[in-house]
Amino acid sequence: MRYGFAIDQRTCIGCHACTVACKTEHDVPVGQFRTWVKYVDKGEYPTTTREMGVMRCNHCTDAPCVKSCPTQALFIRPDGIVDFDNESCIGCKMCMQACPYDAIYIDENTHTAAKCNFCAHRIDQGLEPACVQVCPTESIWMGDIDDPTSGISKFLSIQPVNVRTPEQGTKPNVYYVGADHTVLDPLAAPVQDTYLWADADPLRLETAAELPGDPLTNARLTLNTSHPRPWGWRVWTYLWTKSIAAGALLLGALLVIFTGDTSNLVATMAPFTTEAFLVITSALLIWDLKRPDRFYFLFDPRKINKTSWLALGGIFLGLGAGIGGLWFLAGAATWLEIGDFSMAITWLAWPAVPAAIMVAGYTAFLFGQAEGRDLWQSPVLFWHLIAQAVMVGAGALLLIGFVVAPEDSTMIWLTWALVAGVAAHLLITLIEFGGKHPTRNAQIAAHSITHGRYAQQFWFGSVLLSFVAAVLAGLTLFTDSLIFVGVAAVLVQVALVFHEKVFVMAAQDPPLS
Amino acid sequence: MKPRDKDTVESHGPAASPVGPDAPEHFGLRVRETVSNYPPVEQWDDVVMYDAKAHPRKVGRHYMLVPTTCFNCESACGLLAYVDKETKEVVKIEGNPAHPGSRGRNCAKGPATINQTKDPERILYPLKRTGPRGGSDFERISWDEALDTIAGRIRKAIQEDRRNEVMYHVGRHGEDGFIERVLLTWGVDGNNTHTNICSGGARFGYSVWGGYDRPSPDHANAKVILLLSSHLEAGHYFNPHAQRIMDAKVRGNAKLVVVDPRLSNTASHADEWLSPWPGSEAALLLAIAAYILRTDQVAWDYIKRWVNWKVYLENVHPELDKEDFEAFKTALTADYQQYTFEFAADECRIPAAQIEKTAKIVANAQGKLAAHTWRSATAGNLGGWAVARALFFLTVLTGSVGEKGGTSPNGWNKLIPHGPNMPGGHDSWNELLWPKEFPMSTNELSILLPHFLLEGRGKVDTYFSRVYNPVWTNPDGFSWIEALSDEDLVGCHVAMTPTWSETAIYADFILPFGHSTERHDTQSYEQYAGKWLGFRQPVTRVAREKMGETFTDSRDSNPGEVWEETEFWIELSWRIDPDGELGIRKYFESMKNPGTKIGVDEYYGYIFDNNVPGLPEKASKLGLTPLEYMRKYGAVEVVADLYRQDERALTPAEREGAVPDENGVLRKPITMETQKPLVGEPGAVGVILDDGSEVAGWLTPSRKLELYSPSMADFGWGDLATPCYIQSHVSHKNIDESNNEMVLVPTFRLPTLIHTRSGNAKYLNEISNKHPMWMNTKDADRMGLVTGDMVRVNTEIGHFVARIWSTEAVRPGVTALSHHMGRWRTNDDAGSRWVTGKVDVGKMEDGRWRLRYKEGVKPFVSDDPDSMRINWEDPGVHQNLAFPVHPDTQSGMHCWHQKVRIERAHEEDKYGDVVVDTKKSREVYLDWMSKTKSGPNKDGLRRPEFMMRPVMPMRKAYFVDPPESGSPQE
Repeated sequence: MRYGFAIDQRTCIGCHACTVACKTEHDVPVGQFRTWVKYVDKGEYPTTTREMGVMRCNHCTDAPCVKSCPTQALFIRPDGIVDFDNESCIGCKMCMQACPYDAIYIDENTHTAAKCNFCAHRIDQGLEPACVQVCPTESIWMGDIDDPTSGISKFLSIQPVNVRTPEQGTKPNVYYVGADHTVLDPLAAPVQDTYLWADADPLRLETAAELPGDPLTNARLTLNTSHPRPWGWRVWTYLWTKSIAAGALLLGALLVIFTGDTSNLVATMAPFTTEAFLVITSALLIWDLKRPDRFYFLFDPRKINKTSWLALGGIFLGLGAGIGGLWFLAGAATWLEIGDFSMAITWLAWPAVPAAIMVAGYTAFLFGQAEGRDLWQSPVLFWHLIAQAVMVGAGALLLIGFVVAPEDSTMIWLTWALVAGVAAHLLITLIEFGGKHPTRNAQIAAHSITHGRYAQQFWFGSVLLSFVAAVLAGLTLFTDSLIFVGVAAVLVQVALVFHEKVFVMAAQDPPLS
Repeated sequence: MKPRDKDTVESHGPAASPVGPDAPEHFGLRVRETVSNYPPVEQWDDVVMYDAKAHPRKVGRHYMLVPTTCFNCESACGLLAYVDKETKEVVKIEGNPAHPGSRGRNCAKGPATINQTKDPERILYPLKRTGPRGGSDFERISWDEALDTIAGRIRKAIQEDRRNEVMYHVGRHGEDGFIERVLLTWGVDGNNTHTNICSGGARFGYSVWGGYDRPSPDHANAKVILLLSSHLEAGHYFNPHAQRIMDAKVRGNAKLVVVDPRLSNTASHADEWLSPWPGSEAALLLAIAAYILRTDQVAWDYIKRWVNWKVYLENVHPELDKEDFEAFKTALTADYQQYTFEFAADECRIPAAQIEKTAKIVANAQGKLAAHTWRSATAGNLGGWAVARALFFLTVLTGSVGEKGGTSPNGWNKLIPHGPNMPGGHDSWNELLWPKEFPMSTNELSILLPHFLLEGRGKVDTYFSRVYNPVWTNPDGFSWIEALSDEDLVGCHVAMTPTWSETAIYADFILPFGHSTERHDTQSYEQYAGKWLGFRQPVTRVAREKMGETFTDSRDSNPGEVWEETEFWIELSWRIDPDGELGIRKYFESMKNPGTKIGVDEYYGYIFDNNVPGLPEKASKLGLTPLEYMRKYGAVEVVADLYRQDERALTPAEREGAVPDENGVLRKPITMETQKPLVGEPGAVGVILDDGSEVAGWLTPSRKLELYSPSMADFGWGDLATPCYIQSHVSHKNIDESNNEMVLVPTFRLPTLIHTRSGNAKYLNEISNKHPMWMNTKDADRMGLVTGDMVRVNTEIGHFVARIWSTEAVRPGVTALSHHMGRWRTNDDAGSRWVTGKVDVGKMEDGRWRLRYKEGVKPFVSDDPDSMRINWEDPGVHQNLAFPVHPDTQSGMHCWHQKVRIERAHEEDKYGDVVVDTKKSREVYLDWMSKTKSGPNKDGLRRPEFMMRPVMPMRKAYFVDPPESGSPQE
């Protein structure tokens, strides 16, 4: 049994009755929509036409929102409906990144995620969804698409049918009859300055020039809804702070393993850096939640979703914090001469390495679940995050080193680490942006970084600053003067912030609807 | 694309109704597999619905589903209100499966009604002005004070024989028959409507054909649907028609032809979209007629029987034998060959090949041409009525009149069940409404009221603006402001409205009346080939009465002190004539308890018991009284599948006493006191055709379809008496492109908005809230303009300042600015902040009026958190202010299209500015008046008796010097 929709665009008159019926059924705040009608104008007078498309959640068979929601607030019912429980939602917006269809929004009243849920509350009473009921031309069909004798199955079996962006692989269950590709393909129709009776939102206007469009018909978007970027400065900032935390833990542990150095920098300041930056990271993460009062759901084993990398990432953060915490306590106790816990430190170094790697790298898997953000679904991202952690972790430890003055060899070691980190960062950046991305969505995002709106920040911030840092670090290695690497240590922080910023922003820009 | 075959998909659509055809809800109830669109009727008194916001927790709440009809547009689609049985509040509004017209489905405005009833800025109490008119300062008063003041004035006017100084001016009727009865009881010739800014032009074209003033296309069964309209998104009757048009198109393979200078959503669905130059449409249609004639694809048998071809010959070809039908065929064909495809292509500026292609489509209709124009070209152009005349001509030629899949007249698909004790007619004629210059106007010359008042033709003692916003919706709003501001011209202005408006701020009293869910009305509209009656009711009152409470007044169950008009008019009439000496009170007395006021149950109960054929039987089968039936189901179908009522045999009652005249028209004896029927000549009941059949026929003087209109000749328009083409005032011959002149189409509608009544519907405004002026890319390029550029649009009397949208969605030469936007208020208390901007409006030093926005639309604090989420800011441009009145010479219809000259905005211009010189308004008015030919005709008749006239007077009122009372007249 699987409920699905069929939208007959041959008969849809674009009247927005479905839009409004849904709003009144669910008391949806102004500015947000569970279903809406998109208009695209094509052609040149007199062969002009207007295509329409009803946009909404696709109730995917392999729903990425369900897979990635950390608290199981989104779930698939036995009848196939992708439903949600707003009492479990912490407002992390992972689902909004996972969804390739702009289906989800954060309800301004409850501050939790919401979307079309097939009016499951009505279905459970044997009633049609509100949109199906109201449509003047009966253009919205619903039924069991697993049953070949159902009305909807029979209808879809004999008509030419399409779905939105099937290549995302989520197996959408909203089928379109008579829908033009300019309406189904979010990249086919950029807005040209304005909609016909509304303003296009700023993001839509900003990205219009980057879309491939449809040159044959000059398709232009003439009505749609706004889907602002769900994640902003708190996210790219925490990626930086987490990177420092992971890098400090990793480099500290490697220092212990390879140099046997359990001196102050390593013993206490590295894990202290990890703990401090993990606290900042957690604060940013919790601050970014739309329901920060529910952050503790992530610690509740009954609630968390073990397929969600946001939840798993939380576990890894906890693991890193635990190991780092123990290490810090051991180091602090040793330094305060309460006892000698150097052996403990040596032992902790071993699990610290994979823990640190995962603290840095889990984001790759989390981003990998973002089916709506193709740029983030990169095979090199895992390694890139580790390289970045090395780069900024080294920088942070070097700056601390100026204060706690460890042995010069440690500082030189860290300088080499910084150089290695930058080199790896630049190399992987080259790999990431040098070739052609597999999907148009990723290509558009990447292009906006390398050539478009973010180019300055990318080339100056991420690339040039880190390169200069590496050169300065090199100068330290040649001249033994630490002042150069001191500057470098600061530059790599700035470079990473720029990199994370453009990476996080640009991926959320290509339209999905 | 394969058709959507309902037979293979049994469970989709009304064909799979789970109830039998006698169940009232069978029109719209459907079940697919296990899921239904509505709860079964048996549960409507107590439905448990799971709370959507508590889901997935199952929190059930008990509701009573009470039917009513939508008040947002004239379609009056069925609605079901969900009344929470605990809080007694309406929480949601859905459709009504028992409504034969809308069949359980609605447009966006139906469910959005809840926004309007729950608007935090809603007017909940009667208000009285405290400052000057237009000062937007009001204080709350009691209903008693309002009633006593208004009743006192009307009583005095009646006693002092100034009855016709009382005027009721209606925008959205939403009901049939009630207010006409009230005005008849007062003896007041005071019914003014908005129709001459709306469909008056089209009505003229239809009226001179068959007497009935509107078409009723049978879209569901059509083969060719020809729309000079945008009925898939707006107009009468958008939702019910759109349903049936799409059914025919996709299931029945009907061809949809749409004529519109703009790419409307409707045009985007057309098989053929023609965008002729505005005003040239009759040339297009007559070229199609000419094609049908010369290829002999004409329904000649039908024409021979039902068209007044002999009169045509007599007047157009006196040289021919008027009895010779073959000669007629030849002559008619020859008469129209001047309308070649090339001629039409030249007038229309569209390719001749496209016109030819369309002609072939129409010719192939085989009696199933469903054609409709409501406003569109008939509302835009001088001679626009000729477009409707030409359109119906095609229906005649193709033999589609009154046939299944063709086009019937509205009268066959509509009923107006009258109230008890209908008064006879009054004997006066209000020349402020029906002036002599427009003897054949289909509707009152409401656009000219300010000019008539300002030039001293009369005054209005008590003026009701009822769900109507003439300051905004009419042309020449500053003239309205001048007239309405003058207390000598308008003694007392009562605005009856559910919402703030630009006119209400010029009123002395603002009286809040209910919306869809808060009032009683009956209505019936021609939406398919049947007849239905709808019933609007105050749903919380009905629900609470079912739960055991008793009400005598809807104010006790409505929000605040919002009232309903039925009770108001009864109460007001009682106060006008408390002791009955004026002869008015008796019409508002209970029949069951004489001497007491009639209540709504008794009033509507009477109508349902007596005046709705078939309803008592349907009700009793279900064990209900007729009133109970209507309260339970909200609507009743009186008859289905009704066609060719012209061939209806006369009943014995009709036939008795009727004598045929020399043309075979059966007439009963009449006197000067006989009250005229709504449509048709008094006394005429039918016609004897050549073969002896005695049938009802049509409502023209000849009781046939008048290809030649003797009435037009009678009033001086003999040269326009047959379907013809009149050059529009905005013909391209009048437009100088090199001077950046264009035609402005200011009237196109949006599917989500309804005039100025949807302003406070937040869910509608958030979809549609920007007002760009559409202009073809070529025109924009030519003038060096890009999207967003500000332009000054110059009209005959002033200018407005807009921003353009350079688009391919409108034909070159035409610029289009949608109807609904440009809303304003002068302070923060008197106007909906969901949609208005704040303005300064007043006269400048040079005497010209100026409206200028100080602020756009902004978020505001209210009890509804959504008001702070407003993310739109464009209030729009109030273009109507800059349009002078253009009363069409024959029909009186305001010709909306404007010849405008576009220039870049001047440095001092601001977006939304409107500047007007009302002296120029007066000059244009006088210029258009000078084209008219005044009545009366040579017999002293003011107006043809057959044409529709609500609030029907006695015959004597029709004559300037009526003959002696009592003597019979033919």
